[in-house]
Amino acid sequence: MKNILLAIIFIFLFECNVVASEYAVVANKNMPQLSKAQVKAIFLKKMLVTHDIKIVPINLSPRDPLRISFEKHILKTNFRRLKSYWMKQHYLGHRPPVSLKSQKSSLAFLKKVDGAITYIDIKNIDNTMNIILRWSN
Amino acid sequence: MRTVLLVFLFFTHIYAADEYQLGDGIQVGELPLYVGGYFSVDYQKTDTSTRYRIDDIALLIYGGINKFSYIAELEFKEFYLRTYTNTTSTITTNDKLYIERLYFDYNYDENILLRLGKYNSPIGFWNLLPVNVLRETTSNPVSTFVLFPKFTTGIYASYTRFDEEELQVDVIVQNNANLSNAYNNFDVTEHYGLGFSYTLDDYIFKMNAGHYKKNTQSYYNYALASMKYDTDKYQIMTEMGLQNRDQSNIRSYAGYIQGLYRFTPKHLGILRLESYDDKSTNTKDSFAVMGYTYRPVYPVALKAEYQAHSLTSQNQVLFSVSVLF
Repeated sequence: MKNILLAIIFIFLFECNVVASEYAVVANKNMPQLSKAQVKAIFLKKMLVTHDIKIVPINLSPRDPLRISFEKHILKTNFRRLKSYWMKQHYLGHRPPVSLKSQKSSLAFLKKVDGAITYIDIKNIDNTMNIILRWSN
Repeated sequence: MRTVLLVFLFFTHIYAADEYQLGDGIQVGELPLYVGGYFSVDYQKTDTSTRYRIDDIALLIYGGINKFSYIAELEFKEFYLRTYTNTTSTITTNDKLYIERLYFDYNYDENILLRLGKYNSPIGFWNLLPVNVLRETTSNPVSTFVLFPKFTTGIYASYTRFDEEELQVDVIVQNNANLSNAYNNFDVTEHYGLGFSYTLDDYIFKMNAGHYKKNTQSYYNYALASMKYDTDKYQIMTEMGLQNRDQSNIRSYAGYIQGLYRFTPKHLGILRLESYDDKSTNTKDSFAVMGYTYRPVYPVALKAEYQAHSLTSQNQVLFSVSVLF
């Protein structure tokens, strides 16, 4: 009975590990470490520079599951509220972050532009990136 | 830096996933220049008059490079106005283009912003977004136009600390005439103000206080306390303020509390209770505003509201259509 219970726990944990996706906010190596609140401020275009570097946040396409997860867990908001937020920011002269079509495009951009910051699946991380924070669904 | 910009523009051009949508504005070529605008048409019916109005037709021009940015807002105010009373019918038009806002921003570092020009006085919540399409009712609360100058022409500085709790300090300084004076609620030559706002999750608390001088050589002080609680389903917002004329006991007050309920993301119900005593016009009133707003898409708003006043001559019905583009 004990072995069966252990087997069930093992399978459950294994399944959780397989199902749970892990993501990270990553930046160019020149970017200093940032808090979660600062990352939120950057993607809402409230914080535009840091250490004399112009910050360039990069989004994925609006319906991308990774972007939806980022908006839910890091920005603590959703598509409808963000839409309303960016309409108001348009009146105030602020643009939303640029959206690129894929993580591959985001990473290519990230490596070439100082101050670029984006979010990716953890399996796409390499040692040229500065990992700012991690989260999982 | 130029290389960075070129790389940025190249990748934006090649990979950009965004397409133009209403309310987004458009970029002119690859320049740091975006163009947008808004307009509003409304209808008002009181016991004694009926009014049709094309009010705001505005053009927004903005952009930025590195730490600098700018915005210009040019607007036709009350472009067309037709009013009927029991005995008269009048039409007035106004094709003069006013400068509603014109300022330059400099982001000194991650916390400090400096601004120079004509800007919406950063007092309370409502005054920051004073255009019909972005607010929830066609009418503005009285507190937004009897207590403090809606616009300031001068310097603005803010310090923001980005933490789990966001704290912002605002400083307003004007010591000159207004730019495009016809557009401000007060003809001021001096305005000094200080504001603190504190944000925690869905709550924002804000305090403003200031001092201004009208062109008539009279001095005024004001203070406004504001609070907003905003969730997916509903929002509660309140602003309460006082104004008093220097060296006298002439004191005006105005305030409101507004509840907003989102039946669906496109259908909103609004109830606002207001009260004010405006000593400059010797008007004292309390009233309720009941409103309904339909947004087929967010940048388009169709609004209806009814106002029930303690001064019954002020009871009115308002309808409006407004668009942001």
